[in-house]
Amino acid sequence: MPFYWILPVLLVIAAVGYVLGRGRAMRSADGDARNLHSLPNYYGVHAVIAGLVPAALLLAAWAVVQPIVVDTWVSQSISESRMQEAGSRGLAMSEVRRLAAGLETAVERGAITAERARSASQSMDIDDLREAVSGAGIALTGNIAPETLENAQRYNRISAVGSAIKTVLVLLLSLAGTAYAVSQTTKEFRARKSVEHGVMALLIGAACLAIFTTIGIVLSLIFNTIEFLRLYPAMDFFFGTTWSPSFTGRGGASQLGILPLLWGTFYISLVALLVAVPIGLFAAIYLSEYASKPVRGIAKPLLEILAGIPTIVYGLFALLTVGPLLVSTFGDDGWLGVDWMDGGTAVMTAGLVMGIMLIPFVSSLSDDIINSVPQAMRDGSLGLGATHSETVRQVVMPAALPGIVGAVLLAASRAIGETMIVVLGAGAAAQISGNPFESMTTVTAKIVSQLTGDADFNSPEALVAFALGMTLFVFTLGLNVVALYIVRKYREELE
Amino acid sequence: MNQETAVRNDRDTTSHLPNNQIKVSARKVQVYYGDTHAIKDVDVDIEDRNVTAFIGPSGCGKSTFLRCINRMNDTIPIARVEGQILIDDEDIYDKRIDPVQLRAKVGMVFQKPNPFPKSIYDNVAYGPKIHGLAKNKSELNDIVEKSLRRAALWNEVKDRLQLPGTGLSGGQQQRLCIARAIATEPEILLMDEPCSALDPIATDQVEELIRELKGNYSVVIVTHSMQQAHRVSQKTAFFHLGNLVEYDDTETIFKNPKDERTESYITGRIG
Repeated sequence: MPFYWILPVLLVIAAVGYVLGRGRAMRSADGDARNLHSLPNYYGVHAVIAGLVPAALLLAAWAVVQPIVVDTWVSQSISESRMQEAGSRGLAMSEVRRLAAGLETAVERGAITAERARSASQSMDIDDLREAVSGAGIALTGNIAPETLENAQRYNRISAVGSAIKTVLVLLLSLAGTAYAVSQTTKEFRARKSVEHGVMALLIGAACLAIFTTIGIVLSLIFNTIEFLRLYPAMDFFFGTTWSPSFTGRGGASQLGILPLLWGTFYISLVALLVAVPIGLFAAIYLSEYASKPVRGIAKPLLEILAGIPTIVYGLFALLTVGPLLVSTFGDDGWLGVDWMDGGTAVMTAGLVMGIMLIPFVSSLSDDIINSVPQAMRDGSLGLGATHSETVRQVVMPAALPGIVGAVLLAASRAIGETMIVVLGAGAAAQISGNPFESMTTVTAKIVSQLTGDADFNSPEALVAFALGMTLFVFTLGLNVVALYIVRKYREELE
Repeated sequence: MNQETAVRNDRDTTSHLPNNQIKVSARKVQVYYGDTHAIKDVDVDIEDRNVTAFIGPSGCGKSTFLRCINRMNDTIPIARVEGQILIDDEDIYDKRIDPVQLRAKVGMVFQKPNPFPKSIYDNVAYGPKIHGLAKNKSELNDIVEKSLRRAALWNEVKDRLQLPGTGLSGGQQQRLCIARAIATEPEILLMDEPCSALDPIATDQVEELIRELKGNYSVVIVTHSMQQAHRVSQKTAFFHLGNLVEYDDTETIFKNPKDERTESYITGRIG
């Protein structure tokens, strides 16, 4: 039974379990729900959980374990000569897997009969088979060795048996769970409590999934970073001041120093924060301290629209509007008569636009924090004869400062991780320069260009992307940890 | 600055006047919160160098009226005040009066201690700094010390003036707020249930302080506790449903109330 049939069957079993569980509970209570320990629905849900959860867990575990087991099993029967031909056991095995999948697909599409896929073994069959499989749209590289075909067939056979056992076991488990839950059901049974455990497990599962995904991402970064550092000296990477990757074919000439990229990242982020922090903060102070309710009701959502604009649109804005505008001001023949800027893409262009993007981020967080400063503090200051702005400056701001610092740090970590605005607005030249009107580039923009190039995936030119990503991750993680620590400390102080 | 010196000169001249000089005089005061008529036709004369207590059940308008005296109701957008309140024969709702200057002259202590998130020293120095009351650092130090001494807090905090005011106990925080209020040298001190968040010992300290303060200030205290009103005040006003029902010497109000509602409240029949 294919996988997509198991789920509906499980659901049917669960539905039946619900009806049976609820019905049995009602019968044991002589049809009066008041005699039950829990509400009637809880008995039904209890049966559903017992029928679904263990079966689903088994299904998930089986999906992970079966390919590993089949792989190990089949790969043992790969001969020495075959292994030498393919290069390694892993490569020979991947050929087997590809052919096995090809056969399956060909059968599914009706290019060959299932019987033939199973039994074809003569060398003359192989060419026909190859054609049929290619005809079904699966490209096979190289010739198919008879041994490979045999192993692919074995692979499919074992998998089919495994799947059949899986289906039977899962359905049996589901039925057994339902039956147990229904048999447990009496009017004294505390179904409400067992459902409560089920809900808790569900919530824990969701939290764990998020955490494990993060751990998985970090691990993949770490392994690839280690791989990169094996191919390229760490000292040159972390302290090199030149970024000039060579492209395919000219290997060995690459200079992959991260410093110019970090410099560009921090310079652009700094410009962005210099724009976003004062404007965002003042907007937040106006909105939370001075604006009347109707004004606030309109202005706040308007400001937050900025946060909803996709960053690629900001990038276009930088490239097409802000860049040319800056050139016509600071460039050759500009209004100011200074020749500081050659092209539209520059640190300033990307920084200004990124600053605009961050305004709602800073203002919205700061607004919440300023609002959470107790009114009693404002009253105390006003009651002493302070003006409104004195109160804001000397009482509200100091009280909200740690929270605002946290908001700024969160905005900074956004700025460091921002990509599209930089790709379009800052240019591609990796250089260390103090002139904000020069083109520079950032870590994120280079990750994009290294991975979208045609470099071999095992070359340092491609793997450097993971090392860059890891470095960036460490920086933003550090900023976030500091920001969260400050925000939390501030909350404790106010409470 | 000129107004400041004027205020201080005023103090010097009033100090020769007899005890029952009228400091605040309210006539036909009405307060509206949106459509709600919270204070109706309140007439009251508050004496200088005396403690006046406002008592009454919750929601009767005593705090609202208190907040009219330093125009704190201005900070509530939907509040509207009508009628006339004179302080030293000057209408405080006149257009020429700056509510900010007025609040320096009419200090306020709130229900819940609300020290600023600053050091003890800066809490007290806040008002004098804003109003430019000290010429230099040593004068400011003197003002802080004097205010803390008057608030009976000096001995407890003199060794830790630079520690945050929020770290003090509740009673100490409230006395710090009183020190903060008297540091700007107000003439009137408004206290909105200053002891309701304090334990009996701290309450006793604050009450003792109020009795001492009356030698220099006109103190108006809103309280839920009739015993407290009896203990600290010379005059008592009883508010009920937005009306000022009865206003007289405290002794008279508690021993011999004229109005039936006052008597019912004092004896615990309404509340």
